[in-house]
Amino acid sequence: MDKKWLSFELHKRKILSLILLLAFIISLFSIEWNKDLIHSKGLDTAKQIATAFFTPDLSGDILLLAMESSWTTLSYAAAGMSLAIVIAFFYGVPASGIIVADGKGKRYIRSFFRGQLGFMRAIHELVWAWLFVASIGLSPFAAIFALAIPYGGILGRIFADMLEDVSKEPIKGLEAAGATKLQTLWYGYLPMVRANITSYAMYRFECAVRSSAIMSFVGIGGLGYQIQLSLDDLHYDEVWTFVFFLIILVIMIDLWSNQLRKRLVQ
Amino acid sequence: MKKRRISFITVSVYALLLLGTASWISIFMIEKASLSLLFSEQNLYYAGKFFKGLFGIGEESPAFLNVESWKNALDLTLETLFMSVMATGFSTIAALLTVVPAARNIADGSLTLVKKWHGWLSFGAVRGGYIFSRAVPELVWAMIIIFIFKPGLLPGAIALALHNFGILGKLFAEVIEDLDSRPVRNLSSSGAGRLQLLLYGVLPAALPRFLTYILYRWEVIMRTTIVVGFVGAGGLGQQFKLSMSFFHYTDITLLLLFYLLLVFAADFISEKARWFIK
Repeated sequence: MDKKWLSFELHKRKILSLILLLAFIISLFSIEWNKDLIHSKGLDTAKQIATAFFTPDLSGDILLLAMESSWTTLSYAAAGMSLAIVIAFFYGVPASGIIVADGKGKRYIRSFFRGQLGFMRAIHELVWAWLFVASIGLSPFAAIFALAIPYGGILGRIFADMLEDVSKEPIKGLEAAGATKLQTLWYGYLPMVRANITSYAMYRFECAVRSSAIMSFVGIGGLGYQIQLSLDDLHYDEVWTFVFFLIILVIMIDLWSNQLRKRLVQ
Repeated sequence: MKKRRISFITVSVYALLLLGTASWISIFMIEKASLSLLFSEQNLYYAGKFFKGLFGIGEESPAFLNVESWKNALDLTLETLFMSVMATGFSTIAALLTVVPAARNIADGSLTLVKKWHGWLSFGAVRGGYIFSRAVPELVWAMIIIFIFKPGLLPGAIALALHNFGILGKLFAEVIEDLDSRPVRNLSSSGAGRLQLLLYGVLPAALPRFLTYILYRWEVIMRTTIVVGFVGAGGLGQQFKLSMSFFHYTDITLLLLFYLLLVFAADFISEKARWFIK
């Protein structure tokens, strides 16, 4: 009996892989595999898009427009992230339950704030954007709030997890010296998680740039908006120009945040 | 050395602060966005109307009291689930097929003790492909792909897979780079071929973390399925867009409800599955 259980333990990974593979195969049956999947001129279009990839439109006005929309995208991302950090701080601290005394109240406060953070991040930023546009109209704030809420949810949760995982000795030292809860937060917890949370926030900033680019789908300006306009005009060469700008932007932020993270977490 | 390290961080912090301030300034000054206009009477009226619509106040037959729309939403939920699983599968297969040359310790031959002349070439090509595919957001992929495929589940799955292919590939390659190289070297020195190395040396050691990453990406894909639906790639997102265009706000409430259930279910399942293989 004991041995059987052991072998089950050993094969857990294989069992899970099999289940996942099975799920994938089942999902393939949800599509009718025939010629109707592709537009009648779909392959020609694919060819055109592929050739346009090598001949992006590099004329002056397009480049200028691309740079302008890159800045719009970047500025929405930065503004959204700055709000997200504020949200993360004010939700993350109570969600970690470190400033409340142990007991029943702590559990309630924790689950209350954690639940709210979970709700914020469960809905995709684009859905938030749509809800905001439908209620407050086409304003940059719709994009900024839509970015700030789900990113605040993710950052807040990670922030709370980090605060809970802090090693307790320095905190106990502070408490023994007579520090209040707020003082332990300020002088104990925050300095210890600062490097990690900054590095995580930098990583999310890179994602925020990508998300901010697609905000345009609901009509808010930026790179994605230009991509969509060019696609609607069937100017595939312009599409690739804007896509390349987006890629360059993302890669630049990626490199920067990688360098910064390498130096921060050591 | 230490002095330079500090200065890079300080410069970065100042640059970030500058970027943040410049962004807010440009939003307020150049785009003339104003907070007070946001809360104008007209906007409040529309926002109120919208939220009343979401809760079906003053509506004769709200969708969440209608059996037909529940059934419809359930079907769409199932479709969305299939799409996410398919997307995860596609990207996993593509990433697994390309990951071997993309690991740094295979490119320089330190893992397998076999150095090939094209090691760095294929490393660069595959890694470049990863960067390209993950730098383009799912929605943009979907917008482009919808020009080739007819609206449905497949283009959505492909768009999601294209974006996640780059992410999974990078994560997988990093797992291989972190592997203990001794078992693989043993295999290699006793004459195992490339495929055998992969099957008996790399995969058993890397599988648990591969599975963790697959499950984690599946969670994220689940959340994103609704977005590719917006451009006509099927599932809940497509219906969401249609309902929004027809001002069927109560339908949206129902769809959002199912979407949330799906996301939470995916989180739950993937967490339990990860715990299962721990």
